[in-house]
Amino acid sequence: MKGVRSLAPFAVFAAVAFALELSLPRLVADSSVRQLLMLGGVNVLIALSLNVINGMAGQFSIGHAGFVGIGAYASAVVVANLQLKFPAELTFARSLWLVPAGALTGALVSAVFGLLVGLPSLRLRGDYLAIVTLGFAEIFRLLISTAAASETGGPGALLAKLGGQNGYAGPNELGVPQPAGPFWIFFAVMCVTLLALRLKFSGWGRALRALREDEIAAAAVGVDPTRYKVTSFVLSALGAGLAGGLLSIMRDGSPITQPDNFSFQMSFDAITMVILGGSGSVSGSILGAIFVTFTIKLIELLQATDAAQALKASHEWLDLNALRMVVYAAVLIAVMILRPEGVLGERELFQRRRGER
Amino acid sequence: MSGLASALLNGLAQGAMIALVALGYTMVYGILKLINFAHSEVFMMGAYAGFFALAGPLAGLPPLAALPLTIVAAMAASSALGVAVERVAYRPILSRGGGGKAVGARITPLVTALGMSVLLQNAAVLAFGARPRSYTRMPINTQLVIFVTAIAVMGALHLLVNHTWMGKAMRALSTNVEAARLMGIRTTRVILFTFAVGSSLAALGAVLYCLDQSQAYATMGQVIGTRAFVAAVLGGIGSIPGAVVGGILLGVVGELTKLTSYSGGQDVLTFVVLIAVLLWKPTGLFGRGGVEKV
Repeated sequence: MKGVRSLAPFAVFAAVAFALELSLPRLVADSSVRQLLMLGGVNVLIALSLNVINGMAGQFSIGHAGFVGIGAYASAVVVANLQLKFPAELTFARSLWLVPAGALTGALVSAVFGLLVGLPSLRLRGDYLAIVTLGFAEIFRLLISTAAASETGGPGALLAKLGGQNGYAGPNELGVPQPAGPFWIFFAVMCVTLLALRLKFSGWGRALRALREDEIAAAAVGVDPTRYKVTSFVLSALGAGLAGGLLSIMRDGSPITQPDNFSFQMSFDAITMVILGGSGSVSGSILGAIFVTFTIKLIELLQATDAAQALKASHEWLDLNALRMVVYAAVLIAVMILRPEGVLGERELFQRRRGER
Repeated sequence: MSGLASALLNGLAQGAMIALVALGYTMVYGILKLINFAHSEVFMMGAYAGFFALAGPLAGLPPLAALPLTIVAAMAASSALGVAVERVAYRPILSRGGGGKAVGARITPLVTALGMSVLLQNAAVLAFGARPRSYTRMPINTQLVIFVTAIAVMGALHLLVNHTWMGKAMRALSTNVEAARLMGIRTTRVILFTFAVGSSLAALGAVLYCLDQSQAYATMGQVIGTRAFVAAVLGGIGSIPGAVVGGILLGVVGELTKLTSYSGGQDVLTFVVLIAVLLWKPTGLFGRGGVEKV
């Protein structure tokens, strides 16, 4: 009976997401707005997964884009090849097995890399994880973008099949199929949100918080620091891989998976989402993700306006994206100095009063 | 064979340059136990300062006069920037002992360090444009100049750290900041001095790098910064001779990989070295281990 009850929310989520799948094209006629909403969903997934390691575990990963990218590539390869092997129209019924195949492969591959990266660096002081994740994400991007098509045999040739700098557009260069509609994005967002909340208030989440507050004291009462940290890092990579896996096959998204989408800037945006909203807070991460997604879009829209184009023509140096990064960085420093816990702190919106906070 | 020899020579020069940047990381880490992510951007700003000095007021001078003046100008600009970074981004947080009682208090200084790095890098894109700036070519043997200058400066640093009052104060702080303060050392002054020295070393490295590679660009800090940090970890972070040895090792090995067919090899190798060091000897070649006490 308990098993049925704990599964019930997921059935509700599926129903809500299915309703969105049917109604969203009618409610929102503009496909670029639909794309923005779905992109917001993916960013929520990215922020929630980063929150596990940066917020709950108190470690500092700054290469989240690497894991998102690995998930994106793995999912794009799987879905493109499946679609080529079994060609048919991309109906909703077809997405029922195509999307899980891609997104779950992305999540698993990313989790394996998370284990490889986390195991050596998490045994040490927190700072090492920062630099290792940064290096890892950059290496991933460089390996893919510099792989030359001329190479024959060996790992270089395999990497070159991923399209190098131009991006991966499927084995026949026709673009990656995009079966993941609103149903999949929002279903994933709701499920991951619930799981993140349950994780936070579970015994495992409490052990993690204890570890974050005082590693030595937590170890003294039987919490194995390395095991908990590595598990949370792998979970975080798993979530990032899922987000990337959905991103590369998202309807109305880009049919080409490009390495430069997964640069340090994405990692920094993810950090901004988590820190601004409040490290450790699930709803804070969601709010941060929505805020960052919409400001990025706002700047894109601003850049397209005539006034911005005219300004750009007269002031060649004006790079709105660089300006955005300067502002984000300044805000981030100011938040750290004035209110280091972020907007929400560790609290949740709509949190029921319980014995513990 | 001549390919190998020139790669070795080039590697020594590159390594000496990396070591100069790595010294800044290791000195700050030794005292504040903080990865100064902004250090790589201080390096980049040093390169730009050198560029503007060389292209502007020093343009007409003969190379032998222009080069030292360029270096001095870049060092002055960078150390001012390094000190400003410490005042703005680190001191307010470190002086209250991390993030206080807030969640993730230990990562707070890392976030500001990273924020400072992103801020400076994008400010450079805004101020100087995304296109690389070409340095004036100098009619000198750049490799020789790089190597000799770097070795001379490292010797001077050795004297500074081991045979002056300030050096003794720096070593005291790296052992125990609180005890050093109780002994009457003005810790904030020593920290500022450390940032100034580390930043001017980075600026020296930047000017030498630009003489060799002949261009400055806004993201150069990220590439060289990662290499320099790995060099510092390889040598044992916090250890000054370690940073020198680590830098030179990394430079030589990096140049040797360029002899192989795989072009993207250097940065991949840098990362592999880092993972290997962390797995087998996290304290690095010269680092001191130690169990964290309650």
